[in-house]
Amino acid sequence: MVPHPGEQGHSRSARRLNEPRPVQVVCEGRVPAAVDRVPVIAHRDEWHVADRWWTEEPVRRNYFEVVLETGRNVVVFRDEASGSWFRQAS
Amino acid sequence: MVACLTIPAFALRAPLLRRPELAGRPVALAPAPGEQALLGSCTGAAERAGVRPGMRLSEALATCPGLELVEQDPAGVEQEWEAVLRRLEGAGFAVEAVEPGCVYFQTRGMERLAGGLGQALRRALDAVGPEWGARVGAASQRFAALAAATVAPAGRALVIDDGETHLFLEPLPLDVLPLSPERREELSELGVKRLGELARLPGTAVADRLGADGAEAWRLARGEGDTSVAPRRPPAELVETLTFPEPVANELTLARALAALIERLLARPERAGRAPRQLAVSAKLVGGGSWRRSLTLREPTAEPDRLRLALAPKLSELPAPTAELRLELGELTESVGTQTELVRPRGSRLRERLRGGLRQARAAVGMDAVCTVVEVAPWSRIPESRAILVPRDD
Repeated sequence: MVPHPGEQGHSRSARRLNEPRPVQVVCEGRVPAAVDRVPVIAHRDEWHVADRWWTEEPVRRNYFEVVLETGRNVVVFRDEASGSWFRQAS
Repeated sequence: MVACLTIPAFALRAPLLRRPELAGRPVALAPAPGEQALLGSCTGAAERAGVRPGMRLSEALATCPGLELVEQDPAGVEQEWEAVLRRLEGAGFAVEAVEPGCVYFQTRGMERLAGGLGQALRRALDAVGPEWGARVGAASQRFAALAAATVAPAGRALVIDDGETHLFLEPLPLDVLPLSPERREELSELGVKRLGELARLPGTAVADRLGADGAEAWRLARGEGDTSVAPRRPPAELVETLTFPEPVANELTLARALAALIERLLARPERAGRAPRQLAVSAKLVGGGSWRRSLTLREPTAEPDRLRLALAPKLSELPAPTAELRLELGELTESVGTQTELVRPRGSRLRERLRGGLRQARAAVGMDAVCTVVEVAPWSRIPESRAILVPRDD
């Protein structure tokens, strides 16, 4: 049976850009000392983001911008609700 | 014969079919956002509790505290109605749709196929399905068919023989006539309450007192209505939908999403170079309900810029943040021949090469490989909320 042309609707979902990706972080105190087993050689910046506190899914994150031993500049954050670490472009 | 199939309160039935938990409860159609707080259609249970369509919302809730309100969903209603029409067309009827819940068709061809008028009408009711409570009337002319459908019980057909049209119409109330409430009130004050009473008045006097509307109503009441049906051409629609990760209210973002939908629709192979004459943009609103605007182009066109210019102003009428945007192209032209420009615009060759490259990337990696970045909330402090990736097809 040939489908009615009007039934051939396409629906594709948009997806978020720059989704956080889980990362393994070793800390010294409260700051990252290694990211995915690569030692951190410098801390460039640190900031806190608290948002959507009026919703049922509030966001509370501690961001760190660090330089790795390989020379890469990365941004990681610790999600305060779950305690997990994520990597994300700032 | 002309047949008229009606589904009363279609705009309420359509959302109720998706919410079976409300069956048997007093339910009414909520007022449209931004409009007067007047109720739409209501269920039998609501009417038994004293609620009436057109009642003020506050009055209705005071009359029936247990009244459930259903958000208006014009896009959903349009889709459900299109599905009903397609089922009728699939059963062999050439339909003329008047509005959601009212459709006309000629029975002559189907009578032979189905083995009689009764069987043909039964076939139409079966095609629509029992859940809609459709009823059908058949008569020699449209108005009598509509009146027959109005008085027929749900799921049943009522046939008015040619010689009995006057007898059938005579005792019916004026409500079945396409008259404004003021005109109906005027007639009622004059003591005219039934079609037969109106039909017996002198035509010139009715036209003199009530104008063109009254003269038309008088003609219909005398059984002199139109007998023709103009079946529609089943639309070859193309539909694309874009679901947002979170509701969007920003006009710029919506305009970009619309541009992405236009590109995707124009790239669909089944369009085969044909240009659309009709466009419809609809949205699922946050918190339920929907919104829909349609427009007919003066000249069919497949130029993305012209389609964007025609549709973009409609987006400013969106009453609430949008969870999903949908675009339909309808009434595609038969021919694909258009006068092209003599000198190709600058950059067109580069664009063609870029499109070729994108096609290759898509063939190698997958349909969602090529995306457009659409900024949703560039000011957000949460990086992943600032932009979304929208797959593109061109």
